[in-house]
Amino acid sequence: MAVGRYTTDLEQGDVLGPIEYTMSKFVVREYCHANELHQACYQGAEPAFAPPTLVHLDKLKLYKVACPAGTGPTARIHYQYDATLHAPIPVGVKLRVTGKVAERFEKRGRTHVVMEIDMRTAVDNRPLVTYRDTIIVSYQSASERSAA
Amino acid sequence: MSASISARYQAGAEVRLAPRPMTRERMRWYVDIQETVQVDDGRIHAQPPTIHDDDTYAKKQGLPGIISDGMITTNWIHGLLIDMFGPAAAGTGRLRTKYIRPIYEDQIVITAVKVVSVLDNERKETVYTLEVWCEDDQGQKLTVGDAQVHQRHA
Repeated sequence: MAVGRYTTDLEQGDVLGPIEYTMSKFVVREYCHANELHQACYQGAEPAFAPPTLVHLDKLKLYKVACPAGTGPTARIHYQYDATLHAPIPVGVKLRVTGKVAERFEKRGRTHVVMEIDMRTAVDNRPLVTYRDTIIVSYQSASERSAA
Repeated sequence: MSASISARYQAGAEVRLAPRPMTRERMRWYVDIQETVQVDDGRIHAQPPTIHDDDTYAKKQGLPGIISDGMITTNWIHGLLIDMFGPAAAGTGRLRTKYIRPIYEDQIVITAVKVVSVLDNERKETVYTLEVWCEDDQGQKLTVGDAQVHQRHA
């Protein structure tokens, strides 16, 4: 188990969280502003739901709790976003998010890590988003790093 | 499932957003939002240097310079889906994106969606299956993926 060290050390089977938080209007509007999502459903005074892409930042929240030492010596590269949406993410409702490292494997000299993130309502356990996130631990392969 | 006759978009339809340069500011907006969302106190919070906003750090990681976070193009695709289908694009369905080429500073990015199929299901929804991608101004794909949007019948 690599939980408790660097995020780049995470191993298959590691469980991160759960964490709980309430989605705020500020987070929806500010996140959407940063991503040029200016649609009325996100920038109105009372947004009812969050963009499902926000689930990706739950990974960072899970990292912060499970891997307080931070990123580690290499910057990870995001490779794939894969979100299955079960229902809109409500604003003002407590959410529960859990992460699990599903895979860690080598491909073309680079280490890939797949994390599955499950987002639900905290009160009644309704599934909202099932997210599969794939990262590459380092842009450079191990041989490139050692040659640098 | 059966083919819909009332769909707004027919199979084969393609929708594109206007070209956008992936400026340094766009990359930094996404960097800044990460810590801001986590703190959630109504203020902006910066984070340590990343490969998305610091050239020196990016070069130390073997990159020629800063590159965009993949979630920017994923969000641009999501935004186009909201434009096309409204809130249904944030409801039931799926979005998958893969970042097949790095996007460098000031590279032009065009966001696109193509309707692959349109079907009605037994839950009185029209189900759109979509190809999604971002390409540069030479037509080279940078981000690729697929999506499914379930739109309830009026």
